Amino acid sequence: MKRLHAVALLAIGLLLGSPVPAMAQKTSIDVAVAPTELSVVLGDRFTIETRLTNTDNAATGPLLAHLNVASLDNSVYVDPEDWSSERSQDVELEPGEAVTLSWELQAVNPGQIAVYVVVLPYGADAAANQQLVVSRLARVDVARRSTLTAGGVLPVVLIVPAVLAFAAIAARLRLRWRR
Amino acid sequence: MSRNRRTAAGWLVVAGQECRDLWLSGRGPLLLFVFSALLSTMTYVTSINKVLNFLEQREAVNLVLQVAVAVGALLSMVVAADGISGERERGTLESLLLTPVSGRAIVAGKAAAAVSLWLAAYLVSVPYLLVLSRGVGIAGPAAMAGVVVGTVVAGALTAIALLISSLSNSNKVSLAASIFLLLVLFAPAQLPSGRPQGWFFGVLRQLDPISSGLAYLSAVLVTGHRWTQDVSYLVSPVAITVLAGGALGLAGPRLVRLAAGGNGR
Repeated sequence: MKRLHAVALLAIGLLLGSPVPAMAQKTSIDVAVAPTELSVVLGDRFTIETRLTNTDNAATGPLLAHLNVASLDNSVYVDPEDWSSERSQDVELEPGEAVTLSWELQAVNPGQIAVYVVVLPYGADAAANQQLVVSRLARVDVARRSTLTAGGVLPVVLIVPAVLAFAAIAARLRLRWRR
Repeated sequence: MSRNRRTAAGWLVVAGQECRDLWLSGRGPLLLFVFSALLSTMTYVTSINKVLNFLEQREAVNLVLQVAVAVGALLSMVVAADGISGERERGTLESLLLTPVSGRAIVAGKAAAAVSLWLAAYLVSVPYLLVLSRGVGIAGPAAMAGVVVGTVVAGALTAIALLISSLSNSNKVSLAASIFLLLVLFAPAQLPSGRPQGWFFGVLRQLDPISSGLAYLSAVLVTGHRWTQDVSYLVSPVAITVLAGGALGLAGPRLVRLAAGGNGR
């Protein structure tokens, strides 16, 4: 029994004494996002801003801020490339320094969409297994819009070529009669 | 009558005659009919196609306006490419040279007639722009940007085509050389985008009057930039108009001859 207790205590000791993985390390970058809620119409262009602040006493080294877009609705597939053509920005912050990054997006899917920014170490020296910093979620509600209808454009689409065809035929006939 | 006054009146006479040939012969209305059929197809497809319909309405307006400007300006170029070399080929240049009109006036009159095709194409495109921009309030800016950019681009293409035409004995050579030059300028714009291509490709891209004019339209209508913000895009078409037009104005009397580079009048 004593041996069993000793083994259990040893196991607990080993567990508590094991090194803390880097994933759990406290990060020194604060990422604020604005606005956090947005309602747009399909096709609208909008801008989301993130403010990165180095709260540490040391420089951050090269960082990469990466924009991501995901659907909060299972039925909608979102390709972030369609939403923004420039989704990565390099940044390096001195102690206490802050920088605001602007992200231009276009709403190309309807529904409830999540937009967020991940900050990760950048460059050849970036170590594996580091904790990444993620901004708060910016929720974008995209409403459908279909203002262009076939019925609405039909009169112009038919009448203009018809008038010009008539003019072209009239000019030809006039020329023929003159000859 | 002084030489300048004769030139001033002469170009109007030539322009009037060229416009009558273009419009009353049915050639102009036929080209406009084909142009309107193209715009009708684009507008209808934009309104019914699900893939295109997701576009923001401003992009639909921009798409149709870009087609109108590019095709309308190309129509002017095709007419201008026929200007001098066509007369040579048909053997009608001699009678034109016998009239009391200077070479400069002939060139200016032909240029005016060619640009009239763009202006007519622009008027045809206005109803399409109005119907597409309903509800988004960009009909005015689209119409204004379209006429400015289109006239500048059409002026550049017309000047290039007339210059090439005055240096060609054959209509085919003139037209082929004009289109080939455009393709050479247009090619850099077709390189894969999204990759850093350096300043050299940037310059090449801006040299193409059509691509740079269309980029300006997109910047104003879709991205919402100020009118003056991307005005550098218009440097290329304006510079080409000035250079080619200046060359035509200066060398007009020597270029408008019975044979290109020949010794006729």
